[in-house]
Amino acid sequence: MTADAAPSGPSLRILVVEDEALIALELECLLDDLGHVTVGVACNSSEAIAVGRATAPDVALVDIHLVDGPTGIEVARALAADPRTTVVFMTANAKRIPDDFAGAFGVIAKPYSERVVASTLAYLAGCRAGRPHAPCPDGFHPAPACAAAP
Amino acid sequence: MYGRGDERFRSPETRAAGTSVTDGCSMTQDSAHPAAMAPATFALAFGASLTPMIVTDARGHDNPIVWVNDAFLNQTGYARDELIGRNCRLLQGAETDRQEIARMRAAIGAGEPIALEILNYRRDGTPFWNGMTINPIRDEAGGIAYFFAAQADMTDKRRAESAMRGTNDELERQVGERTADLERALAQKTALLHEVDHRVKNNLQVISSLMLLKARRTPEGEARDALQNMAERIGALSTAHRMLYSEGDVAHFNLSDFTGDFLSDLEAGLDPERTRIEAHVEPIAVAAAMAAPLSLMIHELTTNAVRHAFPGGRSGRLTVDGRREDDMLVLVVADDGIGLGTAPPNPAGFGRSLVEMVVRQLRGSIAWSEGAPGTRVEIRVPLQGGA
Repeated sequence: MTADAAPSGPSLRILVVEDEALIALELECLLDDLGHVTVGVACNSSEAIAVGRATAPDVALVDIHLVDGPTGIEVARALAADPRTTVVFMTANAKRIPDDFAGAFGVIAKPYSERVVASTLAYLAGCRAGRPHAPCPDGFHPAPACAAAP
Repeated sequence: MYGRGDERFRSPETRAAGTSVTDGCSMTQDSAHPAAMAPATFALAFGASLTPMIVTDARGHDNPIVWVNDAFLNQTGYARDELIGRNCRLLQGAETDRQEIARMRAAIGAGEPIALEILNYRRDGTPFWNGMTINPIRDEAGGIAYFFAAQADMTDKRRAESAMRGTNDELERQVGERTADLERALAQKTALLHEVDHRVKNNLQVISSLMLLKARRTPEGEARDALQNMAERIGALSTAHRMLYSEGDVAHFNLSDFTGDFLSDLEAGLDPERTRIEAHVEPIAVAAAMAAPLSLMIHELTTNAVRHAFPGGRSGRLTVDGRREDDMLVLVVADDGIGLGTAPPNPAGFGRSLVEMVVRQLRGSIAWSEGAPGTRVEIRVPLQGGA
């Protein structure tokens, strides 16, 4: 399936915030297959915020549970403060996400399939390019605020 | 003046003969009761009654007691000559409810009957709850001549009520404590469930990543295919797990949601011009324990079909139908490909034996048949206690 996940749409600069090294590494490979660029991988909150400030990525994929605890929420809030960055949670812990989504655009629930990652990033790229009316991919749950006006 | 009633209202044993307690009392008019007893009999009866009773002289100075029965003496501990001529307030004390006393005074002032319960004190100072009714007794001219009061010691009743209140409070406290205990236990259980759910999902992601990473680093060929096939099986299990508990229902998962997500993943790896997948699955609630075996089974049947039914660039259609028949889940996976008979024998045949194993585990039945054209697999699985 990895071979079929052909690059589609513009390339995105992506920050991966994930404490499981294997998941992060595989995600990096997948993003590479999809034609995106991984600008950094962070496994704790301070590193994530620092790399985010230094690189101003297009997209940050943020797990909620990091090495220093359930700090993904505050990471999302900090990264989303930069209007250049779209934050998407990637977590098996979606119930921890606050009602305002901490400024994030939505959530991909773990365990995810590569297809959902690919279609979500394609959808995001479309939204960022001013095509917000593409159908929202299944497996991606937009934040309530973004579902109304992405 | 105090002596006025002494003779007339003495208790029967001590009373001088010839006087009557009921003189001027309208309630004892003989004419109204043809079979009525003589007034003297009433005086005897009241005097011997175990219910404490007194009569006061409404026209005397400060409404003095003019008659008491022995029961009243027993109740209060006073001697008769200590009471006659005195106002009843000598029974009151520090804890007597002033509002009730005011209510009683108002009723007496208005000449109306009243019932009340107040704290009174015996001669030795011990308090008791005195429940009483006070009635005015009018003379023939309609003026109030006397007040008659009958009492009852309500101390035991009060104590019982108070004990009951105490018991109720204690019960409520215990219920509250146990409810809090249960709520704490439930919160712990919920937190544990979240934690386990999170770990299971995260571990599935790790296992899947591990497989895919190894596949990426393995040269193209059988080993790489095997790794990728395993990663896909784990993907199917992951999809089932993602469905579990996502809506808060721990016990069930929705088969149509699962097939929808799963087939979308499968379709993403196919050429849409060549292979079409159509699914008609009813939203059947399946026991959570059946989620993993069912998802594996659907994975094997559908991937087998798209992999083997359409060789050599052949195009075709795969259909997945799921419905409920009474207590059975009926699942039909059919393709219009080359059919089982003409397909080259699969050396490992792992997919098919996996399916048969899972159907056995679910206590179901499976029927493979040649379609026209293609292959049709029908699986029947009991929905209750199948796993």
